[in-house]
Amino acid sequence: MGRGWRAVVEAGLGDARTRILGVFLIIVAVVGTFLMHSYANIETVFAASLLAGSLLGRWWTILVPLTALAVLQPLEWSTTYVGYRLNAITGITFFVISGYVFVGFLGRRIRPRVLFRVKSVALLTTISVPVTIAYDLWTAFGEWYFITRPFGVGIRTVLEAQVPFTLYHLLSSLIFVPVFGTIFLFLHAYGWPAHTPSATVPDPDRE
Amino acid sequence: MALRLSERQQAVVFAAILLTAIAGLYATTQLLQPAPVQAQVVGSATLDVRGDGWSIRYAPAVTTNNTAFGILSEASARLGFPLSYAIFQIPQGVFVTAINGSVNGEGGRYWQYWVNGVYGDVAADHEALHDGDVVLWSFSASQDGM
Repeated sequence: MGRGWRAVVEAGLGDARTRILGVFLIIVAVVGTFLMHSYANIETVFAASLLAGSLLGRWWTILVPLTALAVLQPLEWSTTYVGYRLNAITGITFFVISGYVFVGFLGRRIRPRVLFRVKSVALLTTISVPVTIAYDLWTAFGEWYFITRPFGVGIRTVLEAQVPFTLYHLLSSLIFVPVFGTIFLFLHAYGWPAHTPSATVPDPDRE
Repeated sequence: MALRLSERQQAVVFAAILLTAIAGLYATTQLLQPAPVQAQVVGSATLDVRGDGWSIRYAPAVTTNNTAFGILSEASARLGFPLSYAIFQIPQGVFVTAINGSVNGEGGRYWQYWVNGVYGDVAADHEALHDGDVVLWSFSASQDGM
């Protein structure tokens, strides 16, 4: 029984490199978003979730967004949503978490061949644009339903107000997905740079 | 005949497209930023603050704090009632969270403002005031709270 569970966990978390990259992605998501907290929608959870699904797969598809949000959401509750009723906070938190988990699953669905190539980074970056818009529409609906609807504010007003925030979110995705995508694709494909003289990096053009 | 680019050429093309997209998007966000209100002397503006069982009235003869937030902040300093707010960099704007001990969320009520009876639809520090304007800050549960 114990061995069975262990095998399941081993399979779910992958090899040592996958686990280290998964933890790195969680750190990138938490630290990046925390440091840019005063810049609305400039965040790294989106890029980390997309990369977790598309590069690591397995349990990391869910583990990365859930773990990062387990740290970040309480900070949101104590700042942005301070004073709001419990049902409003619970509701908007559901939309945020489900949105990022959806991003992770979508990353897994469009999973490129995990190669350190420009095409892979370009594919992830391109995909990030419609996914960012879809995520923002989803969370804007949650924001309307739980936060602004009680004030009599219509969904149309919320969506109009959402436009500049979504532009910043797109800006965030267009910066962080290619930057971290390049770094993590490299690390996933080649591991960590070694100081041994024999360590060489294959040139994709020569393949 | 399909043009086959080397990995390096693809990287250059991708970086060029990406940087162009980022620059265009950034320019658009800057265009959408509300213009900052220029400080100017405004006369006979009135501020009413209606909290939970209390109210404050402030009517300076003239003020250079000519925004819905500016006159509130000035009143807070002159009359000595506490004011809490959060400053957002993107998009720029001030969000009032508490006035005189009434904190957003208490009893499902939040701080909202009206200028001459019109509900504020921009950040309060971007709502310009003019001579004779009446600013109302109300701790209410909906837009009907005034």
